Amino acid sequence: MKTEWLNRGVFVAFFVVAAAHMPAPVAAQESPVDYCSSCHSALDERLSAPVTAFATDIHSERGLTCVSCHGGDATAAGLAGMDPAKGFVGKPGAEGTPEFCGRCHSDAQFMRQYNPSIRVDQVAEYVTSVHGRRLAELGDTAVATCTSCHPAHSIRPPTDPLSSVNPLNVAETCGACHANTEYMAEYPIPTDQLERYRRSIHWEMMSVERDLSAPTCNDCHGNHGAAPPGISWVGNVCGQCHSVMTDNFSQSRHAQTFAMLGMPGCATCHQNHDIVRASDEMLGLGEGAVCARCHAAGDTGGEAATAMRSLIDSLGSSFEAADSILGLAEQAGMEVSEAQFELGRANNAAVQARASMHAFSVEAVREDVEEGLGITLEAHQRGQDALAELQFRRAGLAISVTIIVVLIVGLVLRIRQLEHKRRTT
Amino acid sequence: MADEVRTPGTSRRKFIDWMLSRTLTTWILSTSLGGLVLAVVYPTGRYLVPPASGESAATSVTLPFKPDDIPPNSAEIFKFGTRAGLLVRTASGELRAYSAVCTHLGCIVQYRDDIGHIWCACHNGHFDLNGQNIEGPPPTPLETYVVNVRGDQIVVSRRT
Repeated sequence: MKTEWLNRGVFVAFFVVAAAHMPAPVAAQESPVDYCSSCHSALDERLSAPVTAFATDIHSERGLTCVSCHGGDATAAGLAGMDPAKGFVGKPGAEGTPEFCGRCHSDAQFMRQYNPSIRVDQVAEYVTSVHGRRLAELGDTAVATCTSCHPAHSIRPPTDPLSSVNPLNVAETCGACHANTEYMAEYPIPTDQLERYRRSIHWEMMSVERDLSAPTCNDCHGNHGAAPPGISWVGNVCGQCHSVMTDNFSQSRHAQTFAMLGMPGCATCHQNHDIVRASDEMLGLGEGAVCARCHAAGDTGGEAATAMRSLIDSLGSSFEAADSILGLAEQAGMEVSEAQFELGRANNAAVQARASMHAFSVEAVREDVEEGLGITLEAHQRGQDALAELQFRRAGLAISVTIIVVLIVGLVLRIRQLEHKRRTT
Repeated sequence: MADEVRTPGTSRRKFIDWMLSRTLTTWILSTSLGGLVLAVVYPTGRYLVPPASGESAATSVTLPFKPDDIPPNSAEIFKFGTRAGLLVRTASGELRAYSAVCTHLGCIVQYRDDIGHIWCACHNGHFDLNGQNIEGPPPTPLETYVVNVRGDQIVVSRRT
């Protein structure tokens, strides 16, 4: 452990020393002549592409130029402008990229002029990431550095939907390496994360529903400090959004048992990348029930799972029955909006019962379900009353219509009788 | 049907006879009976056949409480059609109304006077006083309504 921290300390010190010896960042400045662009535009595709791409780069928009990052002298043509004596540093390799970008991005005072609240801890985080550690400790230059995710010369802010790090595009950006089996062949980790993520409710919310607050890779793994969540703190990651379930789970016996067995908390039942929409079928011992992976009908856990499922199902079916009968009454023209309004509260109880289930306490679930059943049964009764009232009104209508028809028929017969009588006299 | 009664006498008598003629009586009776049948059967049929039900068409509601009933930094749930609404009087005294149905799984949200914004107890979702989802799993903002105060009446309407 001490060696690990020593390594990290040496690595950070390396960046600090390297940054101190690199040319100071240059803020936006007017340049009368720009030989960088004019010369590079005339060169082959590899050397001219940066000039073309830089037009849409956030750095260009903020007034930075080639010299701001690469140093040198844009007013001097040819190699004279690329003189190391004039601060020219050229293109950094993978190992030098973090400190190259960090010259500005780790400088709070410098960055404040562009965005007073921008973070300046990207490099500090990066050195703690799996990428950063492999780069520093193993010299592995195939790992992601700044430009792997923020393509040099065409960097857009994360809020730009065209940015590679916009929430809509993060999964594809990470997947460019992590889903590439050939590129990842050297690493003993799976490459199906992107494929599995695309089957998840999180992907559906993000990519189909366009809910940018839905989690993508960096929300669980971090971005600059990207690393897999540790087994013991998966719940803290999920709990960023699903706090009620996490709190319930952390107080349950499962939390301790899972930790003891080295099982990854929430992910034990919900998976990690392919987290599908949770359903009642996951509870109990039936088909698709995750409890059945460890529990059987004979054990206490299995009985508890079956009891909780039964309770939740009973509230669900009672809710549907009440909703259905109120729907029938409403369709038939009866005023049942008050009962429907009240029935909405039963949904709270059902949702809370499903949340309480994460404490794996039958009593907690029962409490919520009974509260809900009180509401659904009353709503159902009001629906039945409305339908009985409807039948009463229909019967009344039928009787009155019958009477009217009989009167009319009688009237007609009477008229004909009078007519007949008059003709015969 | 062509057996018109021809009776001699005054023109008035002729008119009465014509009125009582079988052709006319039959015509009147059949048409009025037809009209009566239509007038009775059609609305009765419409009553007996259920209309297609749609979403609550309520676009405006007068609340069953007065503006003075809601002190600053508090709220009341109200019925808007078949769904729940939430009327909040902010700490600064402004009345604002929202759909009280959480955009996550449809629980009824509530106003938290200790933190000054809207909260869903089911999954700890938070919404600010503009209805924006700011924390927890709710994916979208709450629908906001227009609040008009007319004397002692509070009228809440959907935005058009």
